[in-house]
Amino acid sequence: MSAGLWSRSIESLAPDLRSRRVSPVDLTEAVLERIRQHDGMLKSYVHVADGALEAAWEAEREIRNGHWRGPLHGIPVGVKDNYTARDMPTFAGTTAPGFSFPRKDSNAVARLRAAGAVLTGKTRMHEFAWGTVTPPTCNPWDVNRVVGGSSGGSGAAVMAGLAVAALGSDTGGSIRIPASICGTVGLKPTFGRVGRSGIVPHTWSLDTAGPLTRTVADAALILNVLAGADPGDPSCANRPVPDYAASLGQPVRHLSVGVCRNHFFDRNQDDVSNAVERAVSDLASQGMTVREFRIPALEYGLGAIFAVELPSSTAYHDVSLRNGRTGHFEPDVRTLVEVGRFVTGVDYLKGEQLRRVLMDDFRRVFSEVDVIVAPTTALTAWRHDATTLEIAGEQESVLAASWRLTYPFNLTGLPSISLPCGFDRDGMPIGMQVAAKPFDELTALRVAHAYERTHDWVSERPTL
Amino acid sequence: MTGTSAKAPPDPYRDILGVDFGPDRLNSNVRAFEDILNAIRTLRECDLTDVHPAVVFDPASGYGEEGAP
Repeated sequence: MSAGLWSRSIESLAPDLRSRRVSPVDLTEAVLERIRQHDGMLKSYVHVADGALEAAWEAEREIRNGHWRGPLHGIPVGVKDNYTARDMPTFAGTTAPGFSFPRKDSNAVARLRAAGAVLTGKTRMHEFAWGTVTPPTCNPWDVNRVVGGSSGGSGAAVMAGLAVAALGSDTGGSIRIPASICGTVGLKPTFGRVGRSGIVPHTWSLDTAGPLTRTVADAALILNVLAGADPGDPSCANRPVPDYAASLGQPVRHLSVGVCRNHFFDRNQDDVSNAVERAVSDLASQGMTVREFRIPALEYGLGAIFAVELPSSTAYHDVSLRNGRTGHFEPDVRTLVEVGRFVTGVDYLKGEQLRRVLMDDFRRVFSEVDVIVAPTTALTAWRHDATTLEIAGEQESVLAASWRLTYPFNLTGLPSISLPCGFDRDGMPIGMQVAAKPFDELTALRVAHAYERTHDWVSERPTL
Repeated sequence: MTGTSAKAPPDPYRDILGVDFGPDRLNSNVRAFEDILNAIRTLRECDLTDVHPAVVFDPASGYGEEGAP
């Protein structure tokens, strides 16, 4: 077994796998050993795939016989537990009785499999993808702290080398929040860019599938595989898929970056705001023009996302609610599913109207800028027992603060990638997000990559 | 006999909102909803009369390209 294989990126592994300098079996064994050693503490997986080594042997045979499927061939990838798979159970984070999900590959899992990825198992998530924490998963940087959520198992697994990459899903921030809190990259593509058939729904008009990875290039490589039409998802766009990875490394000096001065910088931990301000300056020093703007309608955004996602989730769980199965949900999720009944149809439609206002406001901004840069989360990883924290001089619920900066890009459906931009005074990672126009993941990835390659954050690793 | 006196008015929670929780659960959910309600109240104050909702109804969806005239 080769030491350190588990710590490498897809970008660095792919050429070595193709040329057989690295064996998919050795790589998968290294990751599985990492899971055996550390997942008792981190609790990032709910199921480790029985067939991972077998899939690695198959990848090895294929590559040896000259059938290289592409950069994901032989790469161990974790799958969030709300994606169905033919050879792994799906729980969607619940232990409530009466739920069963098909043993059938979801669109994303089928695409990963076809690309030759080795599926390592199902990563832990908050029940039915509600919530911005993932108990009992622990943060690899400090096991006394949370990993964020709801794709928290994916965040912890990728950061700790228990997977080279992992799938997540993002309804109000559930890819980007754990990415920010754990120190990985997390890409929420444009709504409709990646098909969601086979993902247990949370909110039909917000749910977005995407990867958590170690580097921006890895996110691009996975998006190359995931993006495209999905006949099983009525919201999935049938648009051409560019080569996202090929665009990386192109100059960004002629691009402009927008900074939204209200909402995104109103109330953050100082270390977070300072790190992102430095990142914006760094991008300016690469020649990017910085333009500041404000979107006053964001004041109504929280009400809008509550008005949309609460009744949507309640509608999905309506039968469970009426037959009493929600009584077996975790207390916080049970409450959220039940209170969805209190949101009226008028509230829901006003939420959808507000989304249109925000979409138009952001469209106007994007007529003058190429990307928007903002902090991903207002705070860094908090301790498991913390319910409130002082943020910018005010006591605030950690749950309320954790998604404040992510949900605007769910309401608007815009692509947004979170990447590390430093560490706070306690050594916890800080994330910033780069958002772009609809279906312009390419530009968001380019700018994120331009920032990443001039810093060394991705090589920082926690000691377990 | 007018035929109108015996029927109880609909219960706002159970009949109008479709909420079927016991009283304790209802009270605890109403309390839990307070912060959410505050955010939704802010939204309610917003005049969006002339704004079409973001979700657009498409009667041709599901037919595919072959279904187009």
